[in-house]
Amino acid sequence: MSASGPGSDAAARHAAFRAGRLAILPYLPGSCAWGLVSGVAMVKGGLDVPWAIAMSMMVNAASAQLAALPLIVAGAPLWAIIATGFITNLRFVIYSAAMRPHFAHLALKRRITLGFFMTDFTFVRFMRAAQENTLPAAHRDSWFAGMVSMNLVTWHVSALTGIVGASYIPTDWGLEFTGTLALVALVGPTLNMRPAVVGAITGALVALLAHGLPYKLGLFAGAIAGILAATLADRFQPRDPRAAEAA
Amino acid sequence: MSDPLSGIAMAAVVVGLTLSTLVTRTSFFVAGAKLKLSHRAEVALRYAPVCTLAAIIAPDVLFHGADALDTSLFNPRLVGVFASGLWLIWSRNIVGCLAVGMLAYSLARVYL
Repeated sequence: MSASGPGSDAAARHAAFRAGRLAILPYLPGSCAWGLVSGVAMVKGGLDVPWAIAMSMMVNAASAQLAALPLIVAGAPLWAIIATGFITNLRFVIYSAAMRPHFAHLALKRRITLGFFMTDFTFVRFMRAAQENTLPAAHRDSWFAGMVSMNLVTWHVSALTGIVGASYIPTDWGLEFTGTLALVALVGPTLNMRPAVVGAITGALVALLAHGLPYKLGLFAGAIAGILAATLADRFQPRDPRAAEAA
Repeated sequence: MSDPLSGIAMAAVVVGLTLSTLVTRTSFFVAGAKLKLSHRAEVALRYAPVCTLAAIIAPDVLFHGADALDTSLFNPRLVGVFASGLWLIWSRNIVGCLAVGMLAYSLARVYL
């Protein structure tokens, strides 16, 4: 297991990277559909193609880009546009808090790089592997980097395709629903303990009730409410071996 | 189509939004090993993935772009999620469950 020498360590690192790429592979149709649809939406929303490309390549956050789009097109003040980006991205503060212990030992530059390229899909896939004890024993950062790189390439290629081919890609087929289905497939199997079910139901209900709030704040409210409910349910959960193992 | 914002303003928008991505996603990563969270906070964060995804998915399925809640069994997105979930349970194949879900969703949109 703990083979020594720099050569075998590099090999183990590479193996973890490859395993990470494979772990995200089945969910990529979801990223692909979202990239395509958000590329199209940016151009159809009124952004010039060069700026749509620049934004897509730099920002790496579909939901923030799409939330900011109407403000950009309306010529809203800069601070309002950027504030919209921050608020729409708020859930990633929770994600980074949840993943922090796994990467705390790494150099700052590595931590920042891994964090910047994190997405909903790669975060949840990683946390699921952590919960199921299927992360590699060493080099879990490489495992994550493998997932992230695969997801990133898929995302950029499909977003560019959407931007350039905006007038040829049908928007009334509901392609983006593939992304939602991939999220369901990702999270469904983790609904195997009572606190998780309580949290999911609470999160869903609060997000539905708060759907009218701007900047996707309903999503954030749902996430917070769900986490609180799950934590409460966890405290009243009788301790069984499975729960102890997850802890 | 010309942009309502000038080139410099657009560049500032791109940089600002990139910062919003960077700051939120690396916020706790930057703290690294220095930070010690309480046990209760760590238990809470364990449920972050499932709760956040539930809050993303539910409005996506039940509002499907419209402003009205559609909880009827004829909601094509609900049909798609059910079909996809059943296929996943039965076959354990993720790509297959995406295809089946999209097929059921498309058929429901045409025929229901």
